[in-house]
Parts: sequence; structure tokens; C-alpha cells
Amino acid sequence: MAKILLVEDNEMNRDMLSRRLTRNGFEVIVAVNGREGVDLAVAQKPDLILMDMSLPVLDGWEATRQVKGNAETAAIPVIALTAHAMAQDREEAMAAGCDDFDTKPVEMPRLLSKINAFLAPG
Amino acid sequence: MPENALDESQAGREATLLRATLENMSQGVAMYDAKHRLVTWNTLFCEYLDMPAEFLGTEHTFEDYIRYLGSRGEFGDVDIETALAKRVAQLDHSHSFERVRPDGTILEVRRDPVPGGGFIAIYTDITERKLAEMKLREDEEQLRAIDAAAPVGLLIMDVEKRAVRHANGCFGRLVGRDTRDLIDRPMAELFADPAKSAEMAELMLTPLAEGREFYLPRADGTEICTMVSHEPLEFRSTPAVIATFVDISDRVRMEQQLREAKEAAESASRVKSAFLANMSHELRTPLNAIIGYSEILAEDAADEGNTAMVADLDKIQGAGKHLLGLINDILDLSKIEAGRMDVYLEQVFLARMVEEVKTIVGPMMAKNENRFVIDCPKDIGTLRTDVTKLKQSLINLLSNAAKFTKQGEVALHLSRHESEDGGFIRFAVTDSGIGMTEEQLGRLFQAFTQADSSTTRNFGGTGLGLTITKHFAVMLGGNITVTSEPGKGSTFTIDLPVAREAEVAAELPEIDTGAVADPGAITVLVVDDDPAVHEVLTATLGKEGYVLRHARDGIEALNIMRTDPPDIVTLDVMMPKVDGWSVLGIMKSEPALEHIPVIMLTIVDDRNLGYSLGAAEYMTKPIDRQRLIALIHKFAPGDEHAVLVVDDDPHVRAMVRTTIEGVGLTAIEAANGREALEWLDRHPRPSLVLLDLMMPEMDGFTFLEQVRQRPDFADLPVVVLTAKELTEDERSFLARNTLLILSKSAQPIGTLGSALAAIAGQEKPARPVAK
Repeated sequence: MAKILLVEDNEMNRDMLSRRLTRNGFEVIVAVNGREGVDLAVAQKPDLILMDMSLPVLDGWEATRQVKGNAETAAIPVIALTAHAMAQDREEAMAAGCDDFDTKPVEMPRLLSKINAFLAPG
Repeated sequence: MPENALDESQAGREATLLRATLENMSQGVAMYDAKHRLVTWNTLFCEYLDMPAEFLGTEHTFEDYIRYLGSRGEFGDVDIETALAKRVAQLDHSHSFERVRPDGTILEVRRDPVPGGGFIAIYTDITERKLAEMKLREDEEQLRAIDAAAPVGLLIMDVEKRAVRHANGCFGRLVGRDTRDLIDRPMAELFADPAKSAEMAELMLTPLAEGREFYLPRADGTEICTMVSHEPLEFRSTPAVIATFVDISDRVRMEQQLREAKEAAESASRVKSAFLANMSHELRTPLNAIIGYSEILAEDAADEGNTAMVADLDKIQGAGKHLLGLINDILDLSKIEAGRMDVYLEQVFLARMVEEVKTIVGPMMAKNENRFVIDCPKDIGTLRTDVTKLKQSLINLLSNAAKFTKQGEVALHLSRHESEDGGFIRFAVTDSGIGMTEEQLGRLFQAFTQADSSTTRNFGGTGLGLTITKHFAVMLGGNITVTSEPGKGSTFTIDLPVAREAEVAAELPEIDTGAVADPGAITVLVVDDDPAVHEVLTATLGKEGYVLRHARDGIEALNIMRTDPPDIVTLDVMMPKVDGWSVLGIMKSEPALEHIPVIMLTIVDDRNLGYSLGAAEYMTKPIDRQRLIALIHKFAPGDEHAVLVVDDDPHVRAMVRTTIEGVGLTAIEAANGREALEWLDRHPRPSLVLLDLMMPEMDGFTFLEQVRQRPDFADLPVVVLTAKELTEDERSFLARNTLLILSKSAQPIGTLGSALAAIAGQEKPARPVAK
């Protein structure tokens, strides 16, 4: 079972998304800020990270940079989640090292296809 | 001759001489003796006074003439005896006066007593002189009046003396000084401030065709903004300059106020836009929860078979998504108004974009039972534009058309219009719906107005779609127009310009066709009974580095396939012996052949049969070469283990190669963008391209631009590995065109291995994943 780390500070979003991912057959671990996300990535080695961008303590861009900067976790694909439907946010996320990008509110089929694109057997 | 006779003849000659002299005078002359009898006169005297002949001669006296003239009204309405007495009283001394005759002529009359009594009267016609004098006086008065009344300051300066010759009242008022104080003042001392005086003197000596601003110092120490212009003139025979000063302080103040008002308005608009953008963000968060939880509940309810609840939850979800659409539109518009909407240009394959639009609007068309017709020429080609904005515009127009049309037809027409400057692509959306009146058309593109306020209630929508579409069309360099007739339908037309150089860039690079194909090259079997097709495909695909094999009929095709299976097959339907359908059927029943992708290439348009028999793609003739090349590339097997390393530094290449090989992948090296492009043209697609940016011959940016223009490489995974400091533009370009940007300075290249392995392993053409 693929393990997904969901880094999201908004409780409702975290609850919703983790429930729906679980329903779709993923093991979900959650972090409520960027620092916790980076630590969990190292400790748990998830198969994929869903990263909110506006996070407390450490924001999503910086957290992604740290994940990608650490050889232990650099290979873990990171999908940025942001509420801004703006091209510049996408670019900033990509520049921080995110592998893909999705806009909130999440459209489940679209997000699943993005997740699966990364988790498909090589 | 007696002496007397001599004397007489002498007197006669003198009389004749006198007469001649008198007649040659340009004045009227009359001489009177001591008894006031007229003794001599000339013709002009008679003419000037209109004197009848019978009145002339010594039998009449001066008094007779005056009475006669008086009775004729020559002296106006006066008492004749009074006039006569006045004249007679003056005869003892020289005197002169002017008299205006009833016909308007003016006579100067001069009378001088002569020795021995009597007097001489001389009449001069001074009418012309008098009129000229009068005219001069009037002109001067007029000029003085203009000079005094002009709302323009006038200053005349003597060029030689460098002094003021004249200043009018307005100039005095402008500078707050008495003009008398200014006359004859040297220019150098005109104002209290010597610098200002010097500036003024300088200004006057510089030719000035058009006006310029000049701040005039006032006596009270303030300054007044004027528009000054001047030109040279002769003033009382000396060279001078006349300068006019117009008070523009009101205008300047007004302009300043306008500018401030405009800035305030713009600032307010920016604040509003920022507010809207923030609000939109704040609104999205709770909306996120509404949509998400209703989806979760709907999924739960569906699992439990609770269809009634599913329907209700779907309504909540639908309403949530509608609200989200509104927020998105408002966000778009506020971004447009705040000037924060960016345009990302890329080469867009129009036919493909239309297909994507069709998928999205299809369900909208079905909702009102509308027929959706697409008229897009096969060779419509590409356009360099912002595909997201173009798609959104077309979807807006098409969804509007679908909304306002019931059981009718909605059509999307694309056409290319050539012209010297590159021409334009026209996108026309036509519907057979309710149409609009002239008045409705007038406010169509304004924000928050639909043609009718009841429209929103009946048809939904934000009323922002068209406003956004219009903004987008303008941002993309084009325009949008509309024609409509109530009850008949509407046509919205977007014209987008085609840039010449972009078209040239879109052409595929020329590649040497004579090259010997490598053993690893991809083989394409062309099955067709028409030799022309073989020729066309050989030319088209050979250029792309494919090895072609040829079969004229089905039997031959199957034989070739069984002995040496090709990578791809193009298959005609109507052929002698065994037709294409049969070949396809046989291929799919043989395990050794069933995996070979088959592209049907035929004039028979029966896609469904083709797909049901297992064809991978279906193309109808005439052959669209671009699309064919794209399809062949698409089906060409890629090399899952190959990573193309593009870097001009051989040390970096060697280091990266070690890293790549360390994780079990193959590294192919290219020293610049051009080498990389050429390699890509001739080999199976690699799993990843690792790209340096700064390279000779063709840099990484150009490589990306060119590679992304090729439909088959549009999704080729590229990771940038660079030491370059990126600008905002570069970063945004790379973000659009690459997976990841790695900095050479931030990460030791040796640590990239696992990351590359992961990406190379995962980034294959998207395929559905079975759970």
C-alpha cells in the first residue's frame, strides 16, 4: 500500500483529503506544518508528499526545498497544493522543487491521476 | 505803337501769365479787390465750390457768394447773416479753417489780405489726407484697445538696446507691476532676480517656433506659469521681438488635479482588485470544505445505495462548484484590472486544442439537445498564443451559445486568413439561439451586465464570461466582435493575429535525409497499394529518421511482419487480395503481431470499425503529415533506460554519466541543444533529458522552445541542471517547460542519482494505472 504524507494546516482540508485518500487505498500520514512535514518525510519515507503551500512554522515552498535538498528524501515526489489558481504560484512551487501542482478545491479524479502518475510501477 | 498801347499789351500779357499760373495750381484760388469784388479766379475754385458761371465776375462781391453758398446749405443749418458777419470780420488778417461740404469733401480755406486792400482766398481739397489721418487714428485706437484688452501679456523688446519697448496691461497684471515701470527697463534688470532676467533675455534671443512654459516672477515674490511664444518684428524701424505670455496656471492646476484624480481612481481600482483577490481566496477555503465534504458524503451514500441522498448531495456539490466558477471569474477579472494577468505564449496546435475544447463543451451541448458542429480545416496548423486563455475564451463563447440555444445548432469555425503581415486566425462561434437586440449588444461586454438582468435568473452565469473573453482577446493581440439578430441567433468572432516569425519558427528543422539509419532505428511498415502513398511517407518519415518498409497488399504485409516485425504499421483499407480490415483482424489474433501499433491510413471513414478491430489510430486521407509524424512518434517505443545529458562541459557530463550509470540507467551525451535535437530526431525517446542552460550554438532555452513545438515531445520530461542565476522570466519559462530546476551550486551532482532514478523511472507518458 502506497504511503502518502499529507502536509496541511487546515483541519477540515486535512480531514477530508486524508479520508478520501484512505478510501482510495492509500496509507495516509499527516503533518500540520512544514517543519513536521520535513521531519516526517525523513522518519517515514513516504512514497509521495502532498504539500500545502501556505503553512505555519515553515511554509510549503521552504519545506519542499528542504525535502529536495536532503539526499534521503530528494527522490520523493512532491505535489504542491494551493488555493491560488495563479500561474505564478505554480511556477513558485515548481521552482521550489515540487514535481507537480494541483489547485484547491481538490478535484479527486484529477488529483488521483496525478498521484498515480508518480506511483506507477517503473 | 503808342506807349499806352504798349502798356496795354504789357498788361494783357501779364494777365494771361497770371491766368495760366492760376490754372496750373492744384488749389482753388479767388482774388477780391478792396471792395470785395471778385477780380480773378481759376477753374478749380469754380469746381470746388460748384460756382455757376453767371456768378463769376466783378459785378458780384464776396458777400454775394457767401449768401449764395449759405442759401445752398453749404454751411449747414446756420443763420446766413451770422455766418457772413463772422467771415467778413476775419478778412483783415490771414486765417484758415477746414470746412466739410455737404457732399463730404473737405476743403481747407485760407484767406490772406493783400497789400492795397482786398484779399486772396485759397481752397485746398484735403479730403484724402483727412481720411488717411482718420484711418490711421482709428487703427491706432483699435490697436491700443486690443493691446489693453487682450487677455495675453504682450512684451516688445528692443533687440539692440536689450530693453523693454512696450508692455501691455495684461503683462503688467501677470507680473503684478505697473507697465510704466517696465518701459525702457533693460532686459537684464527686468526682474528682481537677475537669474530670471537672464533666462528671459536668453529666451527672447532664441528662436521659438512653438510655445514653451515659462514661470514669470511676480512682484509679490510668487511665480505664475505661462506659455510664452515670440517672434521677431520691426518696431518703429528698429529690430525687436514681440513676445506673448498666456496664463496657463489654471490649466496646469487642472491637469495636476486630473492627474491626482486619475491616480486616486487607479489606486482605488488596484485596492479593489487586491481586495477581490484576497476575498476570493478567503471564499475558496470554506468552499473547499463544502465541496469536499459533500463529495465524501455522496460517495458514502452511493456506497450505501442511498440514491435520494446522492441526488441532494450532488446539488450541494453543483451549487458549490457554480459558486467556485463565479469566484474564479471574479478573480480573473480582478487580476486583469490589476494588470496582474500574464500572457504565456507557446506554439499551439489548433486542431488538437479544438479537440480538447470539444471534450469540455460536449456535455453542455447535450444538455439543451443542441447539435455541435466543428469546422476546422485539417491544415489549420499552429498559432503562437496563450493556449489557456484561448481555450477559456472559446469555452466561454461555446457555453454561452449552448446556454442560449435549445434544440438548435452551435458551430465553431476556424479559418486562417493570410496577409502580408502574417494575417490572422478567425474563431467564429455561431448559434441558432435567442439572439440579441441592438441595445443588448451595446452593453454586452461590460462587466456584471448580461443582455437582460433576468438572464442571470433564467440562464445562470456570472455575466463576467464575455468581459473576460474580450480582455483575453485584446491581451492576445486580437479582438472580438459580435453580430446578432433576435430570434435568429448570434455569431461571436475572435480574430487573433499570426506573427510571421513565429510561423517560420514552427517549421520543423531540416535534417539530412541521406543519413544511414542506425541499427536501433525504428521501423515503420507502410501497407498501401498506392505508390504515391509510399513516396509521401518515405519523404515524410525518412526525414524524421525512421526506417521504412513497404508492402503493396495484405499478403505481402503479413509476410514481412511475420519474418521481421516492424515497430509500427500504417495500413490502408482498400487493397487487392486481402484488404486492410482483414490484415488488422489477423494481426490482432496473432500473439507475435498483436502488440504492433497500427495506424489506419485510408479514405474510408469508419473509425468505429477500425478501433473495434484494434487499430491504435485512425487517419483519413489526404494525409496530414504533421499529424502522422506526431502519431508515429507517439507510438515509437521509447527507451526507458536512456537519459540524455545535454551540457557543454565534458567534466559535468562525465560526472553525471557516472551518477546515471550508478543507478542502472544509460547516459547519452550531447554537447549543446542542436546536438540534442538531432539525436532526439533519430532515436527512440529517452526517459529523461538533463539540460544545462548556458551552452554554445544552441542554449537550453532555445532547445526547450524547439522541442516543445513538436507534438511528440510536448511532454518529454526535462530536468534543468544549471549554475545560472535565473531571472523571473526565465524561471517562469522553465517552470512551464520542465519538471524541475536543479542548481549546480546548491547540490553536489553526485547526490542527484536517486532523484534522477526516481524521476526517470516514473516520468513515462501518462498511462492509466490499475488499482
